[in-house]
Amino acid sequence: MLTRGTHELRESLQARLLALRVAFLFCFAALAVGFWVVQVVQYTRYERMAANNHLRTIPLRAPRGILFDRNGEVLVQNRTSFTIAIVRDRSSDLDGAIGRLAAIAGVEEAGIRATVERHRRDAVFRPIPVIEHATFAQVAAVAARQAELPELLIQNVPTRSYPANALAAHLFGYVTEIREAQLHQPEFEGLEAGDLVGQTGLERTYNGRLMGEDGSRFVVVDSVGREIQTLDEQQPIDGEPLQLTIDYDVQRALEEAFRVSGFAGAGVLLEPSTGDVLALTSLPSYDPNAFAVGIDGRAFTALNTDPLRPFRNRAVQDRYPPGSTFKIVMAVAGLAERVTTTTERVYCPGSATFYGRRFRCNRPGGHGWMNVRDALKYSCNVFFYTIGDRLKVDTIHEYARRLGLVGLTGLDLPNEVESRVPTEAWKRRVYNDRWYPSETISVAIGQGAVDVTPIGLATMMATVANGGTLVTPHLIRARYDGEHWAPVPPPPARARVDLAPDMLAAVHDGLWRAVNADGGTAWRARVADRDVAGKTGTAQMISREGRAAAGQVARDLRPHGWFVFFAPHDDPQVAGVIFTEHGETAGTSVAIARHVLETFFAKREGRPLPPLDPNTIGRNTRAVASAQPAPPPAGTATPAPAGGEGDE
Amino acid sequence: MIVDRRPLPHLDLPLLGGILALCGIGLVTLYSVSQGGREFWTQVYWLPVGLVALTVCLLVDYRSLSDRSLILYGLLIVGLLLVWQFGVVRGGSRRWLSLAGVTVQPSEFGRIVVALVLAAFYGENRRSARTAGQLVGGALLVGLPAYLIYRQPDLGTAVTLVPVFVGIVFVAGLPLRWMAAAVVAGLLFSPVVWMYGLQDYQRERIETFLDPSNDPRGAGYQQIQAKITVGSGGLTGKGFGAGTQSSYGFMPEAHNDFVFSSFAEEFGFVGVLVTLALYLFVLVRSVDAARLSRDRVGAFLVVGLVSGFGFQVLYNLSMSAGFAPVKGLTLPLMSYGGSSLVSTLAAFGLILNVRMRRFSN
Repeated sequence: MLTRGTHELRESLQARLLALRVAFLFCFAALAVGFWVVQVVQYTRYERMAANNHLRTIPLRAPRGILFDRNGEVLVQNRTSFTIAIVRDRSSDLDGAIGRLAAIAGVEEAGIRATVERHRRDAVFRPIPVIEHATFAQVAAVAARQAELPELLIQNVPTRSYPANALAAHLFGYVTEIREAQLHQPEFEGLEAGDLVGQTGLERTYNGRLMGEDGSRFVVVDSVGREIQTLDEQQPIDGEPLQLTIDYDVQRALEEAFRVSGFAGAGVLLEPSTGDVLALTSLPSYDPNAFAVGIDGRAFTALNTDPLRPFRNRAVQDRYPPGSTFKIVMAVAGLAERVTTTTERVYCPGSATFYGRRFRCNRPGGHGWMNVRDALKYSCNVFFYTIGDRLKVDTIHEYARRLGLVGLTGLDLPNEVESRVPTEAWKRRVYNDRWYPSETISVAIGQGAVDVTPIGLATMMATVANGGTLVTPHLIRARYDGEHWAPVPPPPARARVDLAPDMLAAVHDGLWRAVNADGGTAWRARVADRDVAGKTGTAQMISREGRAAAGQVARDLRPHGWFVFFAPHDDPQVAGVIFTEHGETAGTSVAIARHVLETFFAKREGRPLPPLDPNTIGRNTRAVASAQPAPPPAGTATPAPAGGEGDE
Repeated sequence: MIVDRRPLPHLDLPLLGGILALCGIGLVTLYSVSQGGREFWTQVYWLPVGLVALTVCLLVDYRSLSDRSLILYGLLIVGLLLVWQFGVVRGGSRRWLSLAGVTVQPSEFGRIVVALVLAAFYGENRRSARTAGQLVGGALLVGLPAYLIYRQPDLGTAVTLVPVFVGIVFVAGLPLRWMAAAVVAGLLFSPVVWMYGLQDYQRERIETFLDPSNDPRGAGYQQIQAKITVGSGGLTGKGFGAGTQSSYGFMPEAHNDFVFSSFAEEFGFVGVLVTLALYLFVLVRSVDAARLSRDRVGAFLVVGLVSGFGFQVLYNLSMSAGFAPVKGLTLPLMSYGGSSLVSTLAAFGLILNVRMRRFSN
């Protein structure tokens, strides 16, 4: 029997129990909505956070392929460089950490801040490289403070290491991080921002082989970014090592002699039978190591605006009038076309008149009676004017083409420009005018519309030396397939000039006399016991009168100096060209060639290499000082990415 | 005490089924998180122990327990004092007593004892929570063990005693205007509690909850990770054993306080809904036991136990998804931990007990 009080209590109890149930129901409904928001509405966001936060792919950089010279000497290799990076999501006090880093590493705080700012939009767990190519002292300082500065990360980065003194810089080229625009080019398909690619030189031509394939490590990291478990690891595939046709010692001799001269210019040495490039240089140059460690904007701009254009590979990217070296082409063409013979003599009175215009010889007093041998020896203009007058310009063009002096030589370096020997059609196309026969007279001595690259002239010389087979100059001798070296066969011959043996002998003989006979124009190239054959040339920028009038103007108007050569005379093993820009005469080119040839033969015969005697090489008295890039001091704050703003 | 078998046919099998289902889900999650390792097997061995405790609490008439609740209460206070003096320190807290090689956590059983003593206090002698004196009397009964547990320090467990008290006084007739006054007072005094009533680390926890990026590597880290863990589960989950967050150790306490985050990661929103429904069923069905109870003592006992259980479940589930500050509260029935499982099953033994004996005299 319930009393009234207990009944009331009972009513109240039931009501409140109901309230309790409703409260539970409400709470669980709210929770369900909460879970729905997190798991369904915001799923993508948290799903990405889960993946990003904990599973990281750490790229393992593939070292680029090593470059060897033809004798197995290492030319370009890789070294380990350290990068200090900041990982923002590990940091509780980013500002403080930047300040501490600047203090212990001795770099400017503002620089680090700017770098971090540039990467503001990157994912927070991605390391931002703030000090690249850190010194050992910096690495040690950071490593010692890892506990208090967990946001700092030290990364090993394989870095390209080029020979000292910018040796063969234009040959090797340089690497930088891939540029924005390149990401979309088919050549660089599949690469990502941050990948290192060759920008010029061999690094560019063979970028695909040299790069190898980056590997990666798929790791689990804990809340402070320590790797706690490796789930998967893909080892990088090293870039393919390549053996070059270059001979390190010959290359070095060429550059040392060139540097002593102080001239800008280019030089190429080829093996006539194969087209192997034994040495190739262009000066001034730059230090590819500076790019490997991230050249800073100022140094890059200085290089890019240098009036001597150190980024330009003069051996392949610039055309110059060949001057008298073109007479070799004329001799071959004249003999092969039978407009002259090995014995025909032409009288040189010091000048000659064609089509109503007087053309001078290089010796105002005249050379007297000249056959083809003597004409080559003395570089007699009148003889070659006469040959030129008997040939159509299109015939000259055809012989120049077969000798490698028209178009591209096919050398495996980027951005080669075409050599040009005019034709009638060319003149009509470009100037919309007919070809005048008097123009052929100028062409006969390598003036007028003749414009060739040094590599083109070197190829011509190699072709003449080997008896008329047009070889393709090339730089790769062998490649490594992972187990052994496989020789890379030279590219097939591209053309042939059929020259009777006596005609060939006459040309070779004339070139031999130019060096070895008394009164020859290239006597300074004589190498004891070596029958060097060669031909000098000076290419005038403007007429003598014009030059006198111009006087000491800012622009250098001195003529270029050429020397093309092969040796030995009877069994050519080397052929080449030395070009001194504004060398005034061919003398410096000849002297450089002599030193290189002495080195070449000494090396081949296992004798000690000849020392360089600076006194034998003509110096440039008006050298425009060229700013050689000083590599930025190691361990400076990462500069703004070079490249993109300039074009070499 | 004689075991009376007559009420057995009235055992609430659906409730028992719901409880065992949740234990099963807990074991599955533990198996995945520990990758079939130690924690899983330990929990498997504890389950029968818990079922024995449930059976014992079921078979003994709850009234004989409530009659002796003051003795049990005394034992609890002694146990807590012993812990204070001789307890085993783990993780900076002195919570465990080592008895013959078995460590027990007396505070885990505090809730049952407090529920029993409060049910007896308000249910007998026509007392109710309508007068200030009776309210204070009950508050003192809760306050003493709560204080001892708080001093261990184990604020989390101490706080779980509060809903036991609140639940019982609510159904025992606490005037609604007093409740409103308490809420207002709580709001007014919270700044005072904030300044003087909390330890530094507790303040930090709450600060971190309000702004997790404040401390992304400490408590905020757990909260962020909890959200990522749950959120990355999506609608259907990553699948059994495929939860990256838990198995790679990013979700701390994945088998313990955050077991539900791991569960949500692997089984997704669908799994979450099923589990939420099970917990809700268990709670509502338990409240039913109070409604059907033959006397007020039974009703109050059930409400006290259900309130404590419900509060802990709701808090832990909120924390699992980052909706509440990180607090060392396990998820009853699912989290790893022997004492917790045994005490929870014992509590459900009492709830089943009350319902089973609704027709007894």
